[in-house]
Amino acid sequence: MSFWSTLGSIFTFPLLLATLRLSTPIALIALGETYSERVGIINVGVEGIALLGALVSSLVAYFTGSAWIALFASILAGGLAGGLHALWCIRFRANHVVSGIAINILVGGLALFITSAVWGFRGTSPSSAPLNTWIIVAAMFVLIFASQIFIFRTKWGLRLRVVGEKPEAADTAGINVHRTRYVYTIVNGMLCGLAGAFMFSSVTRFTAGMVGGRGFIGIAAMVVGNYSPVGALGAALMFGFIDALQMRLQTYIPSQFSTMLPYLITILVLAFLIKRAQVPAALGKHYVKQ
Amino acid sequence: MTPIVRFIRESKFIRETGITLLSVALAFGVGCIILWAAGYSIPAVFANLWKGAFGGKIAVGNTLTKATPIILTSLSFLLAFRCGLFNIGAEGQMYVGAIATAAVGVYLRLPNILHAVVALAAGGLAGALWGWIPGFLRAKRGVNEFVTTMMLSFVAIGLTDYLVAPRGPLHDSEAYANQTYAVLQSARFARILRPTQLSWAIIVAAIAVFVVWYFLFRTASGYELRSVGQSPTAAEYGGIRVKRKMILALSLAGLLAGMAGAGEILGTHFRFVDGFSPGYGWDGIAGGLIARAHPVGTLFSAVLIGALRSGALQVQRSGAAPGDIATVLQGLVIFFVIAPTIVRTVLRSFPSAGHRIRRRFLPRKEVGSEDDVDVEAVNDR
Repeated sequence: MSFWSTLGSIFTFPLLLATLRLSTPIALIALGETYSERVGIINVGVEGIALLGALVSSLVAYFTGSAWIALFASILAGGLAGGLHALWCIRFRANHVVSGIAINILVGGLALFITSAVWGFRGTSPSSAPLNTWIIVAAMFVLIFASQIFIFRTKWGLRLRVVGEKPEAADTAGINVHRTRYVYTIVNGMLCGLAGAFMFSSVTRFTAGMVGGRGFIGIAAMVVGNYSPVGALGAALMFGFIDALQMRLQTYIPSQFSTMLPYLITILVLAFLIKRAQVPAALGKHYVKQ
Repeated sequence: MTPIVRFIRESKFIRETGITLLSVALAFGVGCIILWAAGYSIPAVFANLWKGAFGGKIAVGNTLTKATPIILTSLSFLLAFRCGLFNIGAEGQMYVGAIATAAVGVYLRLPNILHAVVALAAGGLAGALWGWIPGFLRAKRGVNEFVTTMMLSFVAIGLTDYLVAPRGPLHDSEAYANQTYAVLQSARFARILRPTQLSWAIIVAAIAVFVVWYFLFRTASGYELRSVGQSPTAAEYGGIRVKRKMILALSLAGLLAGMAGAGEILGTHFRFVDGFSPGYGWDGIAGGLIARAHPVGTLFSAVLIGALRSGALQVQRSGAAPGDIATVLQGLVIFFVIAPTIVRTVLRSFPSAGHRIRRRFLPRKEVGSEDDVDVEAVNDR
C-alpha cells in the first residue's frame, strides 16, 4: 500500500465524525472546569464525576429502561458530586486538589462495588437502550457558545469572574462569594455528569475504565483554551482528533504506542504550545469573610 | 493538671493522631451505611475484613507484603506534597522503576548482594527520571504537575507493556504473558515470612521512612523544600531557589516510587509482569494523606491500606460483599481526613461526650483552626 493511499484510508469522513464524538465529553468537562476555575475552585475530581455520571446512567437506564431519565439522573448526580466538592472546599476548607483526588478514588471504588452488587460483574454493566447521542453533541456546541457570551458579555459573567479574581472586591460590591462558588462548582459537576452520560450512551455499556484519563485531558483542554469556553472547544477538538486518529493508527503501529498518543500529545501541548495562561488570581484559595 | 493530661493536651502528635483515628471511624461509619443500603451483613463484612487482614500469620504477612510498596508510594506523594506539589503519577514511576530493575536483574551478572543493590538503584533512578520530567516542566514552563504526572503514568504503563509484549525487546520468549524472564537468584531479596511473599523490601521501605524523615526535618535542603511548600513567594524572598526545589522534590518522589516498583520485582514477583501493580501508586496518594503528610505516619497508613487490600480479598472470597468496599472505605477515609473541621462538628453534635473528650484531650485552641493542619499549608501556593 502506498503512502498516499494509506493516508487516504486514515483521513476519511468517519474520522471527522469520530473526532466530533470523542471531543464532546472532553469539551463538556473543559467547559465545566472553566466555570469552576473562573470562580476560583480547582476541581480535579472531574474524572471521577464523569465516571459517576456514566455509572448513574447505566443504573437508571437498567432500572427504568429510559435513556432520557438516565441522562437527567446523571446530570443530577454530577451536580450533587460537584456540590460535595464545593462543600469540602468552601465550608470545610479542604485543599481543592486533594478533595478532587478523594472524589476520584471514592467513585473508582463505588463503580466496582456497585456493579458487583447490582449485576454481579465486577466493573461492567449489561448493555441498555441506546440514545441518539448526536443530540448531546449538538447541545455541547450550544452550551459552549452560550457560555462564551454568558461569561464575557453578561453581568452574571462579570460577577463570576470577579469572584475568581478578587473575592474581597466582589464581597464589597455585594456579591455573595460563597454562593457564587457553590453555584458554578455545581454547574461544573452537572456538565461532567452529562459528559459521563454521553460516554455511557455512546457505547450503551458501563465499564469501570471508560473515562480513562479524559477528565484530566479535559482539564488540560481548559488550560490550553486559556479559561474561555470557545478556546476549550478548540483544544477539545484537537484532543478528540488525536484520539480518533490513534484508533485508526492501531493497524499500522503497536497498539501500546497509539493508546498512549493522546496522553503524550497532552504533555507536549502543555509544555510547548501554550504561553502562560491567565490564571484567575484567587484560584485554589479559601475566602474568609473579613 | 497532671503532667500526663497536660502532655495529651499539648502534644501535636496526639492531636493529629486523634483526628485521624476519628476520621477513620467516621469513614467506617459511612461505609456501614453503604453496606446496609446495599443489603449486606455488616458484621460478616467486618469479620472477614479482619480475618483477611490480621487473622493469623499468613494474613499478617499478606498485609505487610501489600503495605511495603504503599509505604514507598506514600512517601513519594508526601515528599512532593511537602513542597506544595502533587505527584499523582507514582503508578507510572513504579512501572518505569520496575522495568529498569527487571532489566538489570535479568541481564546483568553481579555478585549476590551487590546485584540486588544495583537493581534497586536502577529502579530508583528510572523512577527519578520519570519524576524529573514533570518537575522540569513545572519549574520551567509552569505546567500543572498533576496533569503531567497523571498523563506520564499512562505513557509509562503503555511503554513498559510494549517492552515486554511478544515483539518487544525484553519479552520472555517462552511465555504467553507480557513479561520478562525471571530475575537471577543473585538479585532477589530474601523472603522473611514464608509462605507469604513478605521480603526484605519491607526493610528497604522502613529505612526509606527514616531517610525521608531525616531529610525533611533535619537537613537544610529538606527545610528549604518545606518552605517552598508553605509559601513559594516567601521562600523566594528568603533566597531559596524555588524552581530547583520543585524539580528536586518531584525527582525524589519519582525515586521513591521507582523503588516501590523495584521492591515488587526483587521481593515479590521476581520478574516484570504487565499489570503487576494493582494500583499501589494510586494507594500512595491515600497513604500520604492519611499519614497527614508525615513520613512516620506512612508506616501506619500503608498498613491500614494494605490491611484493607488483603481483607478485601477475604471479603470477596467469603461472599459477604464485593471486596471493592475496601476502595470505597479508602476514599471515605481521605474525605474525612482532609477536613478536620468535620471531626469538630461531630464532636459538637454530641455535647456531653464531645465536651468531655474536648476538655480532656484537645487543646484550648480549636481543632481544625488553620495552623494545626499541614495539609492546609499547601493552599497558598
